[in-house]
This record gives sequence, C-alpha cells and structure tokens, in this order.
Amino acid sequence: MAASSLFSSLRSHMSKVRLAGCVVCVHTGRSVFSADKALLVKLRKTTGYTFINCKKALEKFNNDITQAEHWLHDQAQKEGWSKASKLENRRTSEGLIALLRKENTAVMVEVNCETDFVARNEMFQQLVQDVAFATMEHHQSRTRAGYVKSVLSAEDVCNLAVPEGSSVADRLALAIGRLGENISMRRAVSVGMPSEWCLGSYVHGAVLGRSGVLMGRYGALVVFQGGPEGQEEVLGKKLGQHIVGEAPLSLGDVGDVSCGESETRLLAQNFLLEPQYTVGQYLALQNARVLDFIRFKCGEDTQ
Amino acid sequence: MAALVGVRACLSALQLSSPSLLHSSYKLCAVPLGRRNFAADAKKVFSRDKPHVNIGTIGHVDHGKTTLTAAITKVLAEAGGARYKKYEDIDNAPEEKARGITINASHVEYTTANRHYAHTDCPGHADYVKNMITGTAQLDGCILVVAATDGQMPQTREHLLLARQIGVQHVVVYVNKADAVDDPELLQLVELEIRELLSEFGYDGDNTPVICGSALCALENRQPELGMNSIMKLLEVVDEYIPLPKRDLDRPFLLPIEGVYSIPGRGTVVTGTLERGLIKKGDECEFVGHNRSAKSVVTGIEMFHQSLDRAEAGDNLGALVRGVKREDMRRGMVMCKPGSIQPHQKVKSQVYILSKEEGGRHKPFVTNFMPVMFSLTWDMACRIQLPDGKEMVMPGEDTSLTLTLRQPMVLEKGQRFTLRDGNRTIGTGLVTDILPTTPEDQHNWG
Repeated sequence: MAASSLFSSLRSHMSKVRLAGCVVCVHTGRSVFSADKALLVKLRKTTGYTFINCKKALEKFNNDITQAEHWLHDQAQKEGWSKASKLENRRTSEGLIALLRKENTAVMVEVNCETDFVARNEMFQQLVQDVAFATMEHHQSRTRAGYVKSVLSAEDVCNLAVPEGSSVADRLALAIGRLGENISMRRAVSVGMPSEWCLGSYVHGAVLGRSGVLMGRYGALVVFQGGPEGQEEVLGKKLGQHIVGEAPLSLGDVGDVSCGESETRLLAQNFLLEPQYTVGQYLALQNARVLDFIRFKCGEDTQ
Repeated sequence: MAALVGVRACLSALQLSSPSLLHSSYKLCAVPLGRRNFAADAKKVFSRDKPHVNIGTIGHVDHGKTTLTAAITKVLAEAGGARYKKYEDIDNAPEEKARGITINASHVEYTTANRHYAHTDCPGHADYVKNMITGTAQLDGCILVVAATDGQMPQTREHLLLARQIGVQHVVVYVNKADAVDDPELLQLVELEIRELLSEFGYDGDNTPVICGSALCALENRQPELGMNSIMKLLEVVDEYIPLPKRDLDRPFLLPIEGVYSIPGRGTVVTGTLERGLIKKGDECEFVGHNRSAKSVVTGIEMFHQSLDRAEAGDNLGALVRGVKREDMRRGMVMCKPGSIQPHQKVKSQVYILSKEEGGRHKPFVTNFMPVMFSLTWDMACRIQLPDGKEMVMPGEDTSLTLTLRQPMVLEKGQRFTLRDGNRTIGTGLVTDILPTTPEDQHNWG
C-alpha cells in the first residue's frame, strides 16, 4: 500500500525527468536500449540494489524487469564474494548474538560486523536469524538422547545450508556486498537435553526476530533442575540475567563462600537480584540445581 | 558552552573522580578551547573572530565522507581558510580509532567567509549517543553524503535515524560521485529518492538543499563544475542553511553557588562561575534550591578583587547581595533572574553508564538503585527507575532513566549531571524532560 502511493507520487515527478532526458539523448546520441525510468525506479524500490546496477540490468535485458532482477541477484552474490575477500582483514567487533529455543533445545550464535550501525540494520538481523535457524536445523538433524552441548566452529557454521540452496557463507558474502562492511561468523553453540531438565535464557537489550528469535549484545543459556513448580521460566530468566550481569567463568560448588566483587564462580557470587544471598544459597531456597551455563558477550575476546 | 556545562557536572563530582572521568573533563574543555591548535602548530593563536559551528558528515560506507572532508579542506586551503588534509591523514587520524568516553574530538577545522567550523566524522551509533550525552561534540548540523551511483543505502538510513535521535535539526545533502554517472536523469532520481527519505525521517525533504558534485574531481582538479565549484556551493549552502547556535549571553542569568561568605561591614557575598547570561549591578535576583528560596538585589560584582559593572557567562565572580544572611544560603543553590528557574524533583534523562574500563561499575543495576546525582554545584541522592521493557542496565550502555531526587533541586531540560555510587562515577547524563511528582514518589529514603 505504502509502496504504491510512493510510486504514484513519483510518477508526477517522472514526467519532468523524462523531458530533461530527451534533451540529453539528442546531445549524446546514446544507445537505443536506454533504461525506462519508471521501471528503473520500480526495480530500485523492490530490490534495493544500487541505481547504477539497476540501470545496467535494465539496459542489458531491454527493460525486462524479471530477467533484470535475476541478473541483479546473481551479480550481488558475485560482488559480495569479491567484496568479502577485499574486506577480509578488517576487524569486526560489533554485531549481534541470537538465541533460539525450541522445546528442549536451544542455540546461541554470534555474528560480527564492523560498526553498530550495521548491527542495527534489518538485513543484518535477518542474516543473524538465518544463521540461528540453520544451526538449529543442524542440531535437530543429529539429535541424540541425553544432554548434548556442541560447540560449532565458525567454519562449520559457514558450511551449513540455508533455504534456497545456498550456504551460510554465501549469505554472509551477500550481506557484505550490500552493507559494505566486513561481516564474520564468530561462534555457535547448541544444547539439547532430557525433557525433565529446565532451560533458562536471557538476551540483554533484545530485539525480537521471527519465530521467537531474540537478538542482542549479551546472551546467556542456563541448564538447571528443579525450581518451584510452574515458575521454572522465571527462575531461568533470573539466572540468565545474573550470568549476563556478573559474567561468571565457572560453576563452583554449592558451599563456596564469595570472595567479593572479583568472584568468578557462579554459585559463590552474590545473586544480582537478591544480593543478600549467594547464587548457591538462592538456588537451595528454590530447591534447584544449576548444571551448566553458557554466556556470550558480543565482540569479547575468546582466545 | 554546552561543553562547559558538562565540565561543571564533572567538576562538581571532582573530589574523588576516577581517572577516566578527570581525563574526560579535561578533554571536554579542550575541545572548544584549543585542541585543534595543539594538533596543528602550537604557536598559532586561535582567533575567535567568526562564529563557531559544529558540523559532521554522515552517510553509507564508501560513499565518500572522508573524500568530501579532504576536498573541503583542499578547496578552502586555496582560499586560506584551512590546512589541506589528505584523505589518508583524515582516515588514519588517531581520533578515528579512539574509543572511550571522549571519542572523536573534532579533528578537522576550517573557516569559510562567515564562519569557523569543526568537522567530525561518524564512528558508531553508540559512540555518537555517548557524545551527545556527555556533551563532547555536539552537532549543529550534518552533511549527508550519498553516492550518485548507488542512491541511499542501508547505512544512510541508520545515520539519518541517529541524526534525528541526537537532535540534529538541519541536514544538507551532497550527492557525490556525480562524475561516475553520465545520465543527468539518474541524478534527479537519486535526488528525488533522498528527499523522500529525508521526509520519512521527519526532515524538511522538499526544502533541504541538495548539491550534486564529485569530491574526487575537486581533489584531482578535474571538471571544476562538478569538482571545486560543487564544494564551494556546498559550503555556501551550509553557511546559509545551518543556523548559528543560540548564544548563552542572551538567556536569563544563572549562577550556581560555589561558596557563601559574610564580609563584615559589607554583607553577604556568593561566589561561582556564571553559567549563562549577563549580571549587572542593581539586577534583581532570586536564590533557589535545597528547599529554600529568597529574593534580593545584586549590589556589587567583583572579579579578581576588582569591581565591575557587568559579568558575562563564563566569568568567575563574587556577587554582593543585599539583605540575605549567610546562614540562609548554601553551596548547591543557584542565583538566577527571578522567576526564570524552578526546582524539580523528578526528571526523565538519557544516561551513559561508564564501562568498567572507563572507571565505572563492573556489574549492572536494576530499578530502585540509589546513586548520588551531581549537577551544577549540588549533589543529592536519587532513585532510579528503568524504562518499561528494560530489566537491567549493563555498564557501557546508554539508556533512558527516570530519576527521582530526595529533595527538589534546580533542574532544567538539557542540564547535564553525573551519577556516582560510593566513590565511583557510574555514569553521566542529560535531562530530557521534567516530570510531575506523584504520591508514590514520596518513597522512604531511610
């Protein structure tokens, strides 16, 4: 609807443009197959490719918009790859973490880019979601019973297939071509567990994507048992918030005593939301037990 | 001046300031006063004969922001208004890479026939918001650069959104790389599209000046029509279209009180640095803050032990006031033009929370956290309320916060402040709105 009204507003301007165009043609006597301006604007609006490429495409296919669009997609993929190899060495420390849960499985992935402008871009967010879905599919295709935690290397993820017959690596290249920044796959982790265990998660500053994907700069997954009946989700989120906020490095033991602000054992840390207890004490009160946790911070050093 | 306000907010928290904050306050004042000169040649004296304007370039990567900046300095260097900075000099400037609380102090300056400009580039969204909050580099206007070959691209949108968010009112468009497009119709389409985009973001798309040209041609001395002339035209338009920021001398005076003294035989003297406006001998004044209020008349002004008839914003002065007792005054109150300022208890604000590396807290905070707020010369405990949908604030983030003070103090829209917790500065912010107090704000402050 909005697009059509935009288009009609454009049309009134078009007449002026055409007039100017005729004059130019007389002077330069350029090729007969010059691109039709209304089609050019339409193609540009629907595909978002650069003006110059849209024009080239229309000229090449004698104003056949369907063929032009195909050519543009192919071209974008090629340009993406050449751009990707050009930008390969540029540092990427911004980006997004995406978290996707499905029944008793969850995946968390990180994709990096150069500036947070790109991290806010819809196309980039789409890419991160595609990566999350591909990772989830990969995980589900090789499910085993019991607790499974698998860490995928960046290369593994890049080789995963995405819908429409391409790979994650192709998608990355396409995005690089379009967004003009180096973009790199950082890491991915997937978790599957027995149905009687609970999964908690938290994404900080989350943006909601399709089918419940959450994207943000920090993400945490926590696997636990027990907890008050019906309140497992709330407990899981609180634990996730604590893990994002306090950045524990290891689990520790239930009886551990906190050694102050620099404490890095989860169970010995003071609980973020009720600092009078340690996490261990709080869990004891809730009759719960944490088995494992994972924390991602966007752009952090992981050696 | 805005930067000075920022300095003040920091200085009032000075006693135990963390190293990074001290550093930042130092830099804050360095920006308007002389940093540009240190970089160029230390001996040249900065002359303040033209009004100063802060301007920035925004636009998609590779559309030629840096090339345009280089071209501007080149064209103006020929007229004696700038030092020519090559593309590499700008792109490799350490400021470009520097991150932290004081990023991108203006690293290019130039002078047109009418004005002096400081020119900044656009390193990142969060960095810019941080700048807006801390007052490091404010933008009075922007040049949006769009490549004629591409039209608007993803980051063009993101940058415009940001410009809107940090309150840039005026945007001028430079359609770059016009030499690479042999079809004038295409240029018109690009222009049309960009005007539409501007309107979409709430700018005056129809009347925004759009200049077509090629920064590269200007740098390489080719096609003067697209090259040098387009740059001249752009600067002309910038001079015209981006208005001068309002001067602080025109506003009602405000003196945050730093000290109060009783001088036998003469009366009570209040001291401080005049935040804005002009004070003349004989002016009526009002004292506000700390739940007190009093009216009086300024009977004398002194600076450096010399008496003067009028003081201007930025002057550090003592004012002799009639008929008020020293015991009725206190550091943290302000002396202002009667009726110009009200104390407030509850405000909405935009705050940047320092990361651990910048000397802030290492962990997040949640609603009901109670730090101490420092602003002008006062400090007061306050309670934090997070915006809806936000459950905690991590260090290194910027966020909107509602702050409720224990007692009403002088607070205005646009005023800067610092938040501290114990002996640590945790954040710095800007008041964005004054809110009415409600009964539930009468919280138990224990």
